[in-house]
Amino acid sequence: MPDDATVRSAAREVVANLVSRPVKDSEPLISSGTIDSLSILKLITQLEKKLHVSIPTETLQPDDFDSVELIVETVQRVVRV
Amino acid sequence: MQFNSYSYLFFLLVVVTIFWNLPKKLRRGYVLVISLVFYATWNVWFVLIPVSLCAAVYIIARFIVFQPQKSRRWMWCGVTLVLSVLAFFKYRAFLIANVNVLLTVLGLTTVPWAVAIALPLGISFYSFEAISYLIDVRQRRIAKLNFLDLNLFIMFWPHLMAGPIVRVRELIPQLKFDSKFDTRFILSGVDRLIWGLVQKNVVANNLGVWVDAGFKSQPPGGYTTLDSWFLAIAFGLQIYFDFAAYSNMAIGAAQLLGIKLPENFRCPYHAATPVEFWSRWHMTLSRWVRDYLFFPLNAKFGGAPFPFYTSLIGVMALVGLWHGAGWGFVTWGVLQGVYLVLYRIYESFRQNRQPELAASRISAASWRMFTLLAVTLAWVPFRAGNIGQTWGLLSCMLFRFSAGAAYPKAFYWMTASVALFCAAEPYLVRLLSVLDGAVDEDRRVLMAGRLVARGLVYACGLLLFMVFDQQATEFIYFQF
Repeated sequence: MPDDATVRSAAREVVANLVSRPVKDSEPLISSGTIDSLSILKLITQLEKKLHVSIPTETLQPDDFDSVELIVETVQRVVRV
Repeated sequence: MQFNSYSYLFFLLVVVTIFWNLPKKLRRGYVLVISLVFYATWNVWFVLIPVSLCAAVYIIARFIVFQPQKSRRWMWCGVTLVLSVLAFFKYRAFLIANVNVLLTVLGLTTVPWAVAIALPLGISFYSFEAISYLIDVRQRRIAKLNFLDLNLFIMFWPHLMAGPIVRVRELIPQLKFDSKFDTRFILSGVDRLIWGLVQKNVVANNLGVWVDAGFKSQPPGGYTTLDSWFLAIAFGLQIYFDFAAYSNMAIGAAQLLGIKLPENFRCPYHAATPVEFWSRWHMTLSRWVRDYLFFPLNAKFGGAPFPFYTSLIGVMALVGLWHGAGWGFVTWGVLQGVYLVLYRIYESFRQNRQPELAASRISAASWRMFTLLAVTLAWVPFRAGNIGQTWGLLSCMLFRFSAGAAYPKAFYWMTASVALFCAAEPYLVRLLSVLDGAVDEDRRVLMAGRLVARGLVYACGLLLFMVFDQQATEFIYFQF
């Protein structure tokens, strides 16, 4: 199970890669239209690869990935190694 | 009772006045009773449908919570129940008609059962809200609601008939009705209400007269290319102003009770791509479809092209079917899905091989033009009465060109004027917000002027509503 700092660093990197610029941890991503539905799917796949974990999506919704902070919280909550 | 009727405006005035004079603890019960009365003004017996649905969903949600090991099964049980009720009232005749066509082709006996039952108003909207509640409870995103709260969430009259489609977590905390009387918020609600009345009576209804006549029968010499394009554009404008009017009046009415409903439109015809169109058009439906249909279908595939593209077209076909039980709606949905897929393919090509295309102004302008034209074309099957008319209009628009203009000049002028207004809309909105901000900076000097100006604008709006009143014509989305 990756620690908080590792998840945060991976989330920042993946999001920055998707939006082609660095983002603040609290910046809204989905509700602001910064990333769309396809990017959310890519975000999950890239996070899984980077962190070597499986993110079960059955109980998740796009809003769970609305900022780097929320991504970290979501991954810590649901992740299985 | 239509939103754009004198009786509704009087009803609203009385309801809101009593609401703000009631003790806070009585407000929830009061709003629920008013919502039930409002729904009963259409058909007393149909009140039983959303109330029974609430009762069933309430019981199933309890099972989801108290039997966590079987929560998935209970959730599906609830979703199936809600969809069955929706299918029975909305798709029964459509399904039987299509089965009968198939049986006739196969030379078998047709199914005789097709009892005509009117469509309960708002059923498509409150069904989706009930489903979102069940899924959210199962995902432990929200706590289960008590029966009164669940009824309030589903039946709250401003959004009951045609949305906005709300989520429990954004509406329930507000339905405590414990906010203070905020004059600025309430006045902003009145703004929305009056602007909705003007959009409906002045723009949508007047365009509707021409559109209805144009789609009812073709002119003696047949549709020309110009007529076909103008008819499609006029309907695109009519449905936008009609639904935006309803949404503004719903949001405005809720604001009069201190409730903020989510927005449904953001200048959709200014979208630069088909993807952006769906983030500006019927935004609460797009959000629902993304959260409860598209994301669960695609989450396991990580955006892989084949499942992504096929699900886009499939989901949009369902969105079309949600609008109405007819192949024209399905065709509209499939077309929207195809537009989205085309853009996604282009996007993927650009990212992988031609990143410089991203900066190309020609490419951006082409997509903007394509989006506008493609959305306009897709309105034809949505509105046309049958496949023959759809084909006739689309062929005239795209390749069977013919000169001439069969309709009176007023039709072309009106359509062009509304289109021009639509083009200027975001700039006007920005101008209004700038003016509003400027007023805030010097309250003492401008407060009196502001009140006078607001009063004048309200008077003009109400005058326009009365002058163009066509005795409470129905909103297009009420039939969905």
